[in-house]
Amino acid sequence: MALTTSAVGSYPKPEPLVRARAAYAQGKTSKEELWELEKEATTFWIRAQEEIGLDVLVHGEMERGDMVAYFAELMPQSMRIGGLVRSYGNRYYHKPIIVDKLRWPGPMTVEMWKYAQSLTSHPVKGMLTGPYTMVEWSFDEYYPSRREAVMDMARVLRQEVEALVAAGCRYIQIDEPAIHTRPEEDLELAIEAFRLVVEGVDAIFHTHICYGEVEKIYPQILRLPVRQIHLAFKNTDYQYLQLIQQYPWDPDKELGVGVVDVHIRRIESAEEVAQGIRKILSLLPPEQVWILPDCGLKTRTVDEAKGKLQAMVEGVQMVKRELGLR
Amino acid sequence: MLTTVVGHYPKIPNRPRPARLRAAIARFERGEITSDELARIQDEVTLEVIQEQVEAGIDIITDGQIRWEDDQTYIARRLTGFAINGLVRYMDTNTYFRQPVVEGEVRWQEPILVDDYRFAAQHSPRPVKAILTGPYTLAVLSKDYYYRRKDTLVMALAQALAQEAKALAEAGAPIVQLNEPMILIHPQDWELFAQAIATVVQGLPCETALYTWFGSIEQVYPKMLQLPVTTLGIDLISKPINWQIIGEHPFPEEKKLAAGIVDGRNTRLEAVEEIVAAVRHLSRICPPDRLYLNPSCGLEYLPREVAQAKLHRLAEGVQEAKKLLGED
Repeated sequence: MALTTSAVGSYPKPEPLVRARAAYAQGKTSKEELWELEKEATTFWIRAQEEIGLDVLVHGEMERGDMVAYFAELMPQSMRIGGLVRSYGNRYYHKPIIVDKLRWPGPMTVEMWKYAQSLTSHPVKGMLTGPYTMVEWSFDEYYPSRREAVMDMARVLRQEVEALVAAGCRYIQIDEPAIHTRPEEDLELAIEAFRLVVEGVDAIFHTHICYGEVEKIYPQILRLPVRQIHLAFKNTDYQYLQLIQQYPWDPDKELGVGVVDVHIRRIESAEEVAQGIRKILSLLPPEQVWILPDCGLKTRTVDEAKGKLQAMVEGVQMVKRELGLR
Repeated sequence: MLTTVVGHYPKIPNRPRPARLRAAIARFERGEITSDELARIQDEVTLEVIQEQVEAGIDIITDGQIRWEDDQTYIARRLTGFAINGLVRYMDTNTYFRQPVVEGEVRWQEPILVDDYRFAAQHSPRPVKAILTGPYTLAVLSKDYYYRRKDTLVMALAQALAQEAKALAEAGAPIVQLNEPMILIHPQDWELFAQAIATVVQGLPCETALYTWFGSIEQVYPKMLQLPVTTLGIDLISKPINWQIIGEHPFPEEKKLAAGIVDGRNTRLEAVEEIVAAVRHLSRICPPDRLYLNPSCGLEYLPREVAQAKLHRLAEGVQEAKKLLGED
């Protein structure tokens, strides 16, 4: 298939779910009630993606807050949620703490994936946070070295991957947005850990890497054992194309291309999306290219998120028509 | 042998204590309070963090850099020639800062930190040191569209910051500290760096300090010992090899060593024995009366309560070590 469309992970949560999550945090609503609302919101996003016309869907992460804290909370024997730490400006996050040996607590993402997949005939991706990012964005009070923590985290995620595959999941996206934190020191470790998570598993693996100095880890990231690497092209005005011009993309890997910026409210036009895709197609054949937003859309409103997906799909259709593709 | 801190302190506490500054900034951004009202909250939070450092038993404190958005923009905004751009990652942390952009001639116009210093000094029972991001670090963390030459920009910043350092010393700061972590990333720029530091500290009537963090000092030691500053701040946590490096060279008699021995980036609380062992080891490299003991870096990478607990532990460990070394 050419120019397959998909999304990166998160969508905005509908207002009733936002309120229920706040109530749950204060002990004012039950886990069961929250789960009902999460399923309802997931159904909403599966239907929305089908209507807009995406090929490979995501479940939207209605059950998740933060991509690291979500897993940390499900591993209470190994991790706990720490106090607030400032990220930038007036933004703070609860940074998790590794307090004991990392052990798989049983399936963390399977139930929601099964639910989402039961709603649609399109494939729904399994969504995980990679071992390097999980450790890098946590404090560590247990392991003597980062290497040991990252490798144990990889063992945990390996079991989660196997559980997803056993449940029937074919596409699994493992995000590593922290992979460029210490390119010289740690890139090998991040790749080795990734390999431990996926090697020998019968599934199609994707990874998403965003907002950092990709030039410092390219072309080395082509060694990640995945079918597809997704990068945020729109946000950097397609500057990554220069990297691919200098060092060609791996012919055995797909390139996931972010074509809409998730941090601005303005909704891109279909023509703007098409222009971006045409640039990409000057370097890669359409069969090797997937089209997605730059990142998760959770910080946009529901209408903005849908508008951006719509523009994305229309832009793809424009280019396909030009090329005589279906 | 004195305890101190490296620079910033967490701005907000955790529940049940209210995150007043966070709320005030949000209200200010929505236009619900004036900049004066925000400044009043910043003053109150500054008093709180002074109090927390003093209660922990720290001998020489800072104002916690509560008003600083980050180590770069608070200074860059108040010099001429700078605009402030988008977010970039700060070194190898998960913390981001808005990148200063040099668009015109960089000059010092008026005191930047003097009012902050005076406010803290008036309200602190302990000496307060003034913290200044160094010219080299400020230059390489900025984007330069004006000078387009690193050496010219670094020296322009050195001239500008020299005036700020002078103003701080004249306001009574007992110590002016320059933070220069980036020289460990680019040790090949040493000559330019040394020239810039000499320019900033020249003729200052007070004690001076130069702090580094997050890196190995392998490429800059022992030549670092020749810088014309009183104190050298070295992070012994992030790169344990730094222990070995400082042990290999005699520490000059006219200098003081500020050793980062408590991890400012991890919540694990050091045991008193670890701190005692570190201090005893250090006392063999540099006589105790010329030692400062501090965390490995600023404390904003930790939740507030953890930062406070670490300072308590540091002071406790150093007290214990003093007894054992017969200093008390």
